[in-house]
Amino acid sequence: MRLTSIPLLLAQVSVEDLEREKLFLQHNYTFLSYGLTAAWVITVIYVLMMVARERKLKREIAGLRAMLEERQK
Amino acid sequence: MRDKIIYLLGVVALVILVWNINTIAQLPEETRQGVVFKIIFFHVPMAISAMTASAVALVASVLFLITKNFKYDALAVSVTEVGLALLAGNLVTGSIWGRQIWGIWWAWDARLTSALVCWLLYAGYLMLRRAIEEPTQRATFAAVFSIFAFIDVPIVIFSIKWWRTQHPQPVFWGGGSFPPDWTTHFMWNMLAIALVGTVMVAVRLRQEECQREIDSLRRMAHAI
Repeated sequence: MRLTSIPLLLAQVSVEDLEREKLFLQHNYTFLSYGLTAAWVITVIYVLMMVARERKLKREIAGLRAMLEERQK
Repeated sequence: MRDKIIYLLGVVALVILVWNINTIAQLPEETRQGVVFKIIFFHVPMAISAMTASAVALVASVLFLITKNFKYDALAVSVTEVGLALLAGNLVTGSIWGRQIWGIWWAWDARLTSALVCWLLYAGYLMLRRAIEEPTQRATFAAVFSIFAFIDVPIVIFSIKWWRTQHPQPVFWGGGSFPPDWTTHFMWNMLAIALVGTVMVAVRLRQEECQREIDSLRRMAHAI
């Protein structure tokens, strides 16, 4: 191998490394957004479940109170 | 008045979270992992809050068995449910982080497996509660189950010390290091997520009170 080809070889390797690094950084942002989205989605789903349960409980209490008033008459 | 305090705390928690996400985005990237490392600002506070919820559930369950006061049972079920949601967040964010850094979504190592077992145990606790109709029996069985389930919590926490795991050693209290400004933002997020959890527990407790009111109204309806 001629000595002049060594810098070229090194340059080729470093370009590949740079490409890999670029891809890794792009994926980093994608996975960070996935992580944050997942955390928020789980929280929002749980809050929505609680809101639905709250409505159901209030409806049930109102229904039972109305039934009791009806029976007492 | 209590409702206003709950909603005020919720708003404060959301404001801290949104403000902190903005400042976290401006922090420099971690040297080896890059920007994905910032998942730590959610992953760890969710885990700490979930483990705290388990500890509160344990204390409430023990107190219920001693006093037979249903307020402790309500507290136990409320913190367990919120803790389960937080642990789900911890497991999912950890899996996403692992996919980028380890190249795999999941590893059956001691930390991940014990955390999953912990989640399944507390899900089982909630399923057990649904399966039993009679309130006193339900609360007693659930309290015993909660005490049993808590055995897994120290295993989750110390698994990375006891066994060699894919999961890294802790950044905090484990020989790791964190820049001081990162620590500040981490603590703010910790506070915000703990506040969100507290608000959820308070709302859930109120729902348990509503459930007890429904039970007593039903008894009255049967009596008339």
